[in-house]
Amino acid sequence: MTISQNDLIKINNYLWEIPKSFRPNMRVPARIFASQKILESIFLDRTLEQLLNATTLPGIQKAVYLMPDAHEGYGFPIGAVAATACPEGVISPGGIGYDINCGVRLLLSQFSYQDLKPHLKVLADQLYRAIPSGVGRGGPVKLDTKRLDEVLKNGAPYLVTQGYGYQDDIDHIESRGALLNADPKAVSEHAKNRGRDQLGTMGAGNHFVEVAKIEKIFDNKHAKEFGVFTDQTVILIHTGSRGLGHQVATDHIKLMQNVMPKYKISLPDRELACAPFSSKEGQVYFSAMAAAANFAWCNRQLITWEVRKTWQKTLGQSGGRLSILYDVAHNIAKIEEHQIENQKVKVIVHRKGATRAFGPNHPELGPIYQSTGQPVIIPGSMGSASYVLVGTKEAMSRSFGSTCHGAGRCMSRHEAKKRISGLNLKAELAKEDIIVQSGSIRGLAEEAPAAYKDIDDVVDVVDQSGIAKKVAYLKPVIVIKG
Amino acid sequence: MLKLGFKNTYEDAFCPTDLKRLMKSYELIPHTADIRLKVKAKTQKELFVSACEGMSQILKKDFFRKASRCPLNLKVSVSSVDQTTLLIDFLSEILTLSQEHHAIFGKVYFLKFSQTSLLAKICGAKVDQFDNDIKAVTYHQAEVKKNPKGEWETTVIFDI
Repeated sequence: MTISQNDLIKINNYLWEIPKSFRPNMRVPARIFASQKILESIFLDRTLEQLLNATTLPGIQKAVYLMPDAHEGYGFPIGAVAATACPEGVISPGGIGYDINCGVRLLLSQFSYQDLKPHLKVLADQLYRAIPSGVGRGGPVKLDTKRLDEVLKNGAPYLVTQGYGYQDDIDHIESRGALLNADPKAVSEHAKNRGRDQLGTMGAGNHFVEVAKIEKIFDNKHAKEFGVFTDQTVILIHTGSRGLGHQVATDHIKLMQNVMPKYKISLPDRELACAPFSSKEGQVYFSAMAAAANFAWCNRQLITWEVRKTWQKTLGQSGGRLSILYDVAHNIAKIEEHQIENQKVKVIVHRKGATRAFGPNHPELGPIYQSTGQPVIIPGSMGSASYVLVGTKEAMSRSFGSTCHGAGRCMSRHEAKKRISGLNLKAELAKEDIIVQSGSIRGLAEEAPAAYKDIDDVVDVVDQSGIAKKVAYLKPVIVIKG
Repeated sequence: MLKLGFKNTYEDAFCPTDLKRLMKSYELIPHTADIRLKVKAKTQKELFVSACEGMSQILKKDFFRKASRCPLNLKVSVSSVDQTTLLIDFLSEILTLSQEHHAIFGKVYFLKFSQTSLLAKICGAKVDQFDNDIKAVTYHQAEVKKNPKGEWETTVIFDI
């Protein structure tokens, strides 16, 4: 069934609805956060068809939400949020994605960009050497089975006990860097083998480490509370659970396809494969996904350690300490309480290419962000701006406490390579005072800003919708890519 | 997965190092965020081999033009609910072994092959780095079927 804009009900300038009545197998409506311009781009691929497919999951609650950075994925679109009843509903690995807990962390320095300028070239070279990137490069530690199981079970706090961070780092990570239901025994040997030498590695694709400067403050009060100021140098780390997480997803999508007939579940897309949350298969996946999420938090923690060492080596004591503003997950499922029809209901929130955006006074936020709401970090495409936002109370009622996760791809890698020369792009970025260090010039073209939506348009939609509010605007100065 | 010694007693064998034939049997087509492989072949077995070769080409372009020896020999056993799922699960298994062993697999010998299960020996060689980091082989839009020309075909989308 094809969908046209006539099928959408306009709720306001930034929110649209496809009612439950649109297709017989829909269990809830679909809601789309988009401006008119972004909506037009969403119609260019199968994003909306996939969104409607997600509304058919057993136990789905209230509505499935699409973020303005959405694009076609497999099963779920990228940029979707769906909640199923806990424990009666299903859990779907396809609603989380292959790169479990792909996410982003922002480090704050006390160094101004003006002071950093003379050191930029050296810092770029040193960071490129220090952080293993690209395809197939191993990390600084190879984990034996016992230590790998510790990483999977205990997440970032374990690495801090091993000397790879400060105790207060943990207070600045979503879920304090560890999901407590993680079980290393639920992770296959294949997955463990894929991840064994990948801790502390960035990988390839859209993953990066970026040094940026705070160019503009939108909200002085929150900027001050977050310790963010104009001309400040900051560092973004964007990566996930690497091969370990990819294998966990592969293992469990296959497993769930095989057991769906047993649970009498039939869905319009194989990639939506799911199992009842309370079933053995559902519980084993939830434990394995949590372990992969913990691996991802450890990965960003170890890269933070590599960045901190490089920062100190390049700038000496004058560089000061790099602190974490926050670390957010983009691909994850969590049990949360949300208000549905005037009742507090426990649900399994699937975020696939979406960021948690809890507002002030949420019990899951620690004391540091209890009164402000959590920082939300939205990375742009390589060479374009990124944003710091703050979570809102409105997000709780409008999108299961979620917002967008990035710019969102709009051009295929093939098309980007055809249209854009990696070398020319590097030269163009250099003219804008952006140093790029990349292992692959071809890969550079694939990630060109032109291959993505305009991050300013995307962030304007979530800001205007109230599902996160703009705090600061970041301009990149060094990009390290795989 | 088991390590095998060589025995030339296989039910059938395909060596995709016949690149001229295989270059015609698959093509890469654009997709928003991933890589989409379109595969065609005369038989179902050839379709599986061509898909494997296409995946190897994504992982490391023209690797077997340069490396003719395949010293790494492994055995793959897969069972699935139908033939499409079997193909995706087969490719997933090979991808996993590629990642675990840092290797590209370019030869496939089927010991058993049915609509829902297979047993194969795969041969490959170590590689320093991959060209692309394939996260996963997805089931999205995959459907093994015969086209009007009588050829077997499917699309395979790789999450990159």
